[in-house]
Amino acid sequence: MVNETKIDIRNLNVWFGDNHVLKDISFKIRKNAVTAIMGPSGCGKTTLIRAINRMNELIYGCRTSGEIYIDGHNIYDGSINVYELRRKVGMVFQKPNPFPKSIYENVAFGPRIHKTASGRELDEIVERSLREAALWDEVKDRLHDNAFNLSGGQQQRLCIARALAVRPEIILMDEPCSALDPAATAKIEALIRRLSKRYTVIVVTHNLQQAARISDFTAFLYMGKLIEYGDTKSVFENPHNELTEKYITGKFG
Amino acid sequence: MSDQAEERVIFAILGAPTLICMLTFSWILSLLLTGIGTLRWELFTLSALRGGMFEMIVGTIYLLLGAAGVAGPIGVLAAIYLVEYAPSGRLTRIIDQAINNLAGVPSIVIGLFGYTFFCRHLGLGVSLAAGWLTLALMMLPIVIRGSEEALRMVPASFKEAALALGATRWKAVSSTTLPAAAPGVVTSVILGIARVAGETAAILFTSCVLITRGLPKSPLEPVMALSYNLFVQIVALGTPAQRVFGIALVLFMIVTLLSLSAILLRIHYRRRQPWLRMKG
Amino acid sequence: METRSFLKGLPKLFMHLKSQLIEFVLFICASFSVVILLLMLLFVIKEGSLAFARLGVQLILGKRWETNSDLYGGFPLMYGSLMVVSGALLISVPLGICTSIFIAEVLPFQLRDPIKSVIELLASIPSVIYGFIGVTFLAPLIASFFGLHSGATALTASLILAIMALPTIVGVSGETISAVPSEYKEAALALGASKWQTIRNVVLPLSKSGMLASVMLGFGRAIGETVAVLMVAGNVAMVPTPPWNYLAPVYPVTAVIAMQMGEAAVGSLEYSALFGLGLILFITTFVVNTIADVIVRRGPVKRGVQL
Repeated sequence: MVNETKIDIRNLNVWFGDNHVLKDISFKIRKNAVTAIMGPSGCGKTTLIRAINRMNELIYGCRTSGEIYIDGHNIYDGSINVYELRRKVGMVFQKPNPFPKSIYENVAFGPRIHKTASGRELDEIVERSLREAALWDEVKDRLHDNAFNLSGGQQQRLCIARALAVRPEIILMDEPCSALDPAATAKIEALIRRLSKRYTVIVVTHNLQQAARISDFTAFLYMGKLIEYGDTKSVFENPHNELTEKYITGKFG
Repeated sequence: MSDQAEERVIFAILGAPTLICMLTFSWILSLLLTGIGTLRWELFTLSALRGGMFEMIVGTIYLLLGAAGVAGPIGVLAAIYLVEYAPSGRLTRIIDQAINNLAGVPSIVIGLFGYTFFCRHLGLGVSLAAGWLTLALMMLPIVIRGSEEALRMVPASFKEAALALGATRWKAVSSTTLPAAAPGVVTSVILGIARVAGETAAILFTSCVLITRGLPKSPLEPVMALSYNLFVQIVALGTPAQRVFGIALVLFMIVTLLSLSAILLRIHYRRRQPWLRMKG
Repeated sequence: METRSFLKGLPKLFMHLKSQLIEFVLFICASFSVVILLLMLLFVIKEGSLAFARLGVQLILGKRWETNSDLYGGFPLMYGSLMVVSGALLISVPLGICTSIFIAEVLPFQLRDPIKSVIELLASIPSVIYGFIGVTFLAPLIASFFGLHSGATALTASLILAIMALPTIVGVSGETISAVPSEYKEAALALGASKWQTIRNVVLPLSKSGMLASVMLGFGRAIGETVAVLMVAGNVAMVPTPPWNYLAPVYPVTAVIAMQMGEAAVGSLEYSALFGLGLILFITTFVVNTIADVIVRRGPVKRGVQL
């Protein structure tokens, strides 16, 4: 299994106003694997993944320095088309946020925007994405129902399908299961493992057991700094840093 | 990059109207300022009988203070009821709806009502008092809504702490919530005053006359006002613009001053109320 | 024994009564608006009853309004009102909605508050000052531009009303747009949608009802406007020929009432007819405002609303 670097983060610093949220983060994320980003509340996990699809700049007063290379191209370079970037880097949010539209229209939204398909092609894309998100069987007879008729777990899988519809290469997930019950969580964790065969998945989580369960690599963030990064087994069983050890054994966070 | 170019064009089309709004405002402002030359300090203290504006200015102030004196207390008490006491149900919704509808009644209709009810039915005649009551009707919705908002922004925990110590509902509200909301309430009263300062139609036949001998000695006498005078001079007397420019300017300055102070007060007190900055 | 416990209970009873009294007073203050509206309806109907009895439906349909001949047909007046208001809305609605979208979604954060304040200041200018500007500056401009004898026309009134209605439309539309939950916008942007695509496909569909409400409220504001239109509309009680001729003078309902109340003898037919017109105005704005309120209350964004 060839594991190359998909994302190369170098000296990433992010400020919101005077608040220095991310301090000199550097590490490489492997392709087609699940990387977990963990740490206590407020350590900058969300800011970190939002830096990868450049959603931070939508907030007033945000400043970023450093580089993030995806497949060798610095996404903060002026010549980059940020809309194309966001197509390639999909995002699933903490609280499921389907559009107040039908299930079909939710998934079709992305392809429609990017004008990648229409008509029957669009139908195929919608079916494929819903299958990949393990939701097809549950909704295939009610594609034109309102998305809000779905349960929380189904809505989150819908959001995943929606992100998959534009054929991303990277999927960012911000605590995707924190608003869900254990059964729904289990379904999504299984889905994440399956997705990592085709996509590079990055999951932010504050749930240690979840990070240990589903990820191949783990990064531990604390107060905006990257404390430790490595393959999950080593980080959990043999942490290099004392802070990491304290966090894992529950001494704080 | 045709998509991005298309977006720029669309934003330009959307931005043009905003530009037009700003330009309109500057145009109006500049027009008004051309009349600055007609203003002289004496005009403020000279009687109208000698070409000055004294009675008009004082008359306007009298009207505004009286209207605020009526609408202020009633409005604040009404707001307290709506925020702290009103049960959710049909009656409350009717009251709520009525406030909105009162706000939407055309000023001329309020003037008609004021004339037939305050002036004739209550026997006040064309007077300052009738003007107070009529203008208060127009101020009321503004004061109620503004005070409501100010009261709602105060964290419930203040009141609850008082209640937990054994205070009655009224005592809790009046000693904790109300003082905290006071700046917002004051702002809403000022906004209400600003709204009726330039009002003409409502006082047209309820309280004003063109010329009085000195200031009214009792609330049952009619009064002069800037807005009324400006209106009648232009429409009925055909006075040329140069002569009335002064009146228009003074009225504009008073209204703008009031509006600006309301805006500034709002900003100032937002800084002094730390609980507003704490967002859950 | 019983007397003592009764006396002990007195302060508590007293406090209870006091609380009830306070709540009652507050309730009275709150219901003031209801009472006033009812009184208004009552008295305006009362004063207008003579006209309704004598003229009946002619007050609305009659084509001639001539005080000297005791003719009170309100049709040309209402036509004048509608003409001026539609002209105003035609100008201010597109302008206002575009502006509200621009301010809420496109304008950089720093500029938002100043520009909103400018629009608020526009809204605070008294109508008599708008009338003054109309008479002194706008009317002569229109007169010379179109080669007219006088600049007091329906067009002039429409223009002034458009400026006056603009802040209402911008304000209410703007509130609706801001009320669209940011989670939908974030979802769209994360999928790679551009700002305009997000506005067009997510924000606008959810703001439709709010914008409709703003138009209705703008209509209500414009149709009730008295002083500014009175000063520039020309005040000739005739339907223009041809009916879409905006360069002709018109006499909106509000202007008639304001102009003629001063001279109408109390209790005369003229007096009553003016109150009758006032009643029609009152009912119209009441209905329009109530509908707008219902639209706003229904809310554009409710979970479960199908787009």
